[in-house]
Amino acid sequence: MARRRPWVNVLFLAPVVLAFVMVIIVPFVLGIYYSFTDFNGVRTTLTFVGLDNYRNMFRDPVFLHSFLLTLQYTVINIVLVNVVAFLLSLLVTSDTPGRNFLRAGFFVPNLIGGLVLGYIWQFVFNNVLLDLGRSLGIAALSRSLISDSGTVIWAMSFVNTWQYAGYIMMIYVAAIQGIPANLMEAASVDGANYPQRVWKILMPMMASAFTVTLFLTLTNSFKQYDLNVSLTNGGPAALFMGKPSKASQLLAMNIYNTAIASKRWGDGQARAVIFFLVLVLFSLVQVWMSKRKEVEM
Amino acid sequence: MKKIFLIVLAMVLVLGMSTTALADISLANLKVEIDVPLKAYAEAYSAANGFNVKVDTFGGGQDYHGMVMAALQSGEMYDIFMIEGIGGYNTWKDSLYDLTGQPFVEATSLAYAPEGKVVGFPIAVEGFGIGYNAEILEKAGIDPATLTTLSAFEEACKKLDGMKEELGITAPIAMAASTSGGMWWVAAQHNFNAYWKGNLAYNDNSIVELALKGEVDKERLTQYAKFLRVMCDYADQDVLLNGNYDAQINLFGTGKAAFIQQGNWTDPNFKDLGATFKRGYIAEVWTDEPTTAIMVAAPSYFVVNANSPHVDEAIKFLNDMALTEAGQNYMVKEAGMVPAFSGVTVEPEGQFSQAVMKAAGSGDAFGWGFAEMPDGFNMDVLGPIFELFAAGQLDIDGFVNMVAEAIATIPTL
Repeated sequence: MARRRPWVNVLFLAPVVLAFVMVIIVPFVLGIYYSFTDFNGVRTTLTFVGLDNYRNMFRDPVFLHSFLLTLQYTVINIVLVNVVAFLLSLLVTSDTPGRNFLRAGFFVPNLIGGLVLGYIWQFVFNNVLLDLGRSLGIAALSRSLISDSGTVIWAMSFVNTWQYAGYIMMIYVAAIQGIPANLMEAASVDGANYPQRVWKILMPMMASAFTVTLFLTLTNSFKQYDLNVSLTNGGPAALFMGKPSKASQLLAMNIYNTAIASKRWGDGQARAVIFFLVLVLFSLVQVWMSKRKEVEM
Repeated sequence: MKKIFLIVLAMVLVLGMSTTALADISLANLKVEIDVPLKAYAEAYSAANGFNVKVDTFGGGQDYHGMVMAALQSGEMYDIFMIEGIGGYNTWKDSLYDLTGQPFVEATSLAYAPEGKVVGFPIAVEGFGIGYNAEILEKAGIDPATLTTLSAFEEACKKLDGMKEELGITAPIAMAASTSGGMWWVAAQHNFNAYWKGNLAYNDNSIVELALKGEVDKERLTQYAKFLRVMCDYADQDVLLNGNYDAQINLFGTGKAAFIQQGNWTDPNFKDLGATFKRGYIAEVWTDEPTTAIMVAAPSYFVVNANSPHVDEAIKFLNDMALTEAGQNYMVKEAGMVPAFSGVTVEPEGQFSQAVMKAAGSGDAFGWGFAEMPDGFNMDVLGPIFELFAAGQLDIDGFVNMVAEAIATIPTL
């Protein structure tokens, strides 16, 4: 039997653990500390302000608006991305001709990074669609979709779906391919039609994939920033609770603007802490609920 | 044997990595429009002076302050960077090197010294107002010299609006106010400066000081709102509500609008567009009190990082920019800026810059008030109010009340 040498394990783990502590743990703890001060990003002396930052945050209509928008966006996005990805995965695992080409094709948008994606689609929404609407006389396209506070969240979700659905589709495809073919054949022999086979057999067997994809889309939507900045930059101004606010400013952007643009790092950090707690809560609930539905093969 | 070889190799690598420092200095540039000329000047300067000047440019939508703070946090703070007014000064004041008594200070009256000691090198004199396309106005039979009051301006806009097809314009004014286009500053800072400093003596900061206490002059604000209404009503709605910087510049530069709310920093942009038509400035005519003065100031300053190990090289770079022929040539001819220093014989190429130089020289100018507002206030708090007004979701009273409410929060920021 090989000699156990625990120090070798520690040595191999050390670089990764060190990186993790320095990059994640230390800033996290420091951040919580800063959230109780009036740090402005540059000043070297800090005054302790207790829970003031937390209290002010919930009195700020712009923050509450961002929170609501983020929840809205997350719900819309989770549904859109997963439905589209699921339908696409069914398509590329069926007997359609050229399905391998389709599989690669649907995945390609995922390779475009957040900022470039946003700028390209901003051009499409602001220039291409407007010109198209003007020349074809379509009234619905006379105003840019990202300049209207009613449609801007849907537009953002559309772009995010365009990019992300391919990636989620791949996860579903992997799950579908793990289901034994004889199961589906047996069901069709017994008289189940396609929708019944999908609903009663395919989806329960894919439950573990759903856990993963729901978690990914939840966290991805909640933390959305780069697309937000490049596509709408907070979007059209709108009135919320009678105060001027930005109609597509998601939480991450609100935190960034508070901390960096307005140089109120203490405030921004407090919002970030709340952001973290909410996201952890949502994720834990989602994973717990999904795990209960998973089937052991 | 193998062990010795490995040890020697490691030592060589470590020694090789220590830089033979050529006293390089780094500069953080906020003005996107001078990116190319500044980098060219820095390269030529580096070659001629034996130390490298490296320029990084952020701005025009990117978050300059965020990037400089990131550099500070990572321990690679810039040797020279830029600040714009009291907000930047208050944030950075503990790390600004004292430039009092430097040669360039003698050559200008605009060096930045808010608390006595000089900390800022005025980068350029900038000005803005309502630019006009002289050829379009001539075709419409409007004499820009008569546009000195709000009523005259509104009449002119009505006339232009009625002659749109003839003149080939889509709307009389190229104005921008959209958050998503990153153009909040055109409305909430520059156009709003009519409220801060319009028709007041150059050093009269009474309205600004009122606001810093949380109060507004309602009558003055209401009059301003009427001016803003005219600007927005006769503006190209696309550019107003969706457009970015390029969209606004292109609209005016290709002759599709007769007026533009912008500053003389746009001269290089128009040169690139090949816009050769005659143009000039009228004042921001927000009242019926006649005025021809445009708004002029030296808004951004080069500051030297007090904790930099290369302070001497940084200061030399700045002095040379103001006092040597190469530096002055760069400032005026290459970057198209109006110099803040006396003894500069070169004249700027751009028509708007020439107008600004003339205004600065003759004193027919108003100051800039928006730079004294707290960080982020103009962008995050005022910007959306202006966009809502431009989109027609607020009427004049609603606008006045909302701005007053917003300003009332300043003392708590």
